[in-house]
Amino acid sequence: MSTWDDRQPIYQQLADLLAARLLDGDPPEGAAMPSVRALAGQHLLNPLTVNRALQALAEAGLLESRRGLGLFVVPGARERLRAVERERFMAEEWPRLRARLRRLGIEAGQLDWNTDTAKEKRA
Amino acid sequence: MTTADHIAPSTDTLVSARHLSVRYGRKTAVDDVSFSIPKGRVVGLLGHNGAGKTTLMKALVGLAEPAGELSVLGLHPQRDRVALLQGACYIPDVAILPRWARVSELITLMGRLHPRFSAERARQLLARTSVGLGDKVKSLSKGMVAQAHLALVASIDARLMILDEPTLGLDVLSRKAFYEMLIDEWCDGERSVLVSTHQVEEVESLLSDVLMLNEGKLVLSISLEEVDRRFVALSHDPAVAEQMAAAHPLLKYRVQGGSAALFDGEPPPHVQALGRRVRPSLVDLFVALTRKPELDRQHF
Repeated sequence: MSTWDDRQPIYQQLADLLAARLLDGDPPEGAAMPSVRALAGQHLLNPLTVNRALQALAEAGLLESRRGLGLFVVPGARERLRAVERERFMAEEWPRLRARLRRLGIEAGQLDWNTDTAKEKRA
Repeated sequence: MTTADHIAPSTDTLVSARHLSVRYGRKTAVDDVSFSIPKGRVVGLLGHNGAGKTTLMKALVGLAEPAGELSVLGLHPQRDRVALLQGACYIPDVAILPRWARVSELITLMGRLHPRFSAERARQLLARTSVGLGDKVKSLSKGMVAQAHLALVASIDARLMILDEPTLGLDVLSRKAFYEMLIDEWCDGERSVLVSTHQVEEVESLLSDVLMLNEGKLVLSISLEEVDRRFVALSHDPAVAEQMAAAHPLLKYRVQGGSAALFDGEPPPHVQALGRRVRPSLVDLFVALTRKPELDRQHF
């Protein structure tokens, strides 16, 4: 029933999930976040856990509270998230990926950078 | 202090139990437990069969005679039972709805029995489910009966809901639908729920607090937030198992890709350095704290 792993506290996992959605523009900058109850029902989480996750995102400067209206996505939140994620990718994922590409003997030129053709091939 | 002193009950504490025991003849079913339930919480009552969960719940609604102090919604459950049932609702583990009745008839019945029941709300809640108002109880699946029951009980304007094994025997989708309704429609930050279950893994993320009973004794009463702070789980390579064991963990168990050890409090730094911190799960804590004596003996 639950999709939570044992690596991190559940609220942190929800915060990561919501951040990933923000990066995809869901909800867009300036728009309201879903309510605590809506998120709790949707993810089958205790509302206090949802509150902690939203609090963590607010502390990271991604959400702001508007009195009486709830939490909203801060303008510039996506760019901020993208910068953080880029840094994380370069520091953590890229070295691993590079090592794997080297091991497999794959050169940059052999990689297909055009997602559209990849889709066409699959279709 | 006697329970008669609760003239102005604290509105933030819904249940307060101090040195509560329940005896059946020579058997002590609930043994000197103390805890409280504030408003806005979802409290899981966990324990093996026979641990005292049902007895404790019965005491809370005045159906078992306890020794010690007990205040529920500021009331004495046995003496003020009628008043108590205005503000607390209870689905016992043996709950049944009359098989011959139609759902619409149950709504009418509840409306006559309970002054704080809202028929309109019951219809709204039932609209979320696949239960029809004209359906007879005997035509409903087990999962639908459980949802109908929850819809009826959640339509009482109460502050405390007590659910004894509400999802026992339901399939996974029905369990999910049941808990979805509970979280969506009941938990509003003011009301609280006490729910007993064996399916610890499933309810973990729903809970704000946990009460663990072992042979009538309360072995853990803690918020889930505190669990993350107080207990430390280290996943480690089987090669360092001996060093881990030497640090006296509460529990040694297997995780995907290796072994893990659970500690109450921070283990010494040299032990922490041997593993990687993972989230302590409620089910591991449950196993560690409620091991049956015969299981313990196997270690010697």
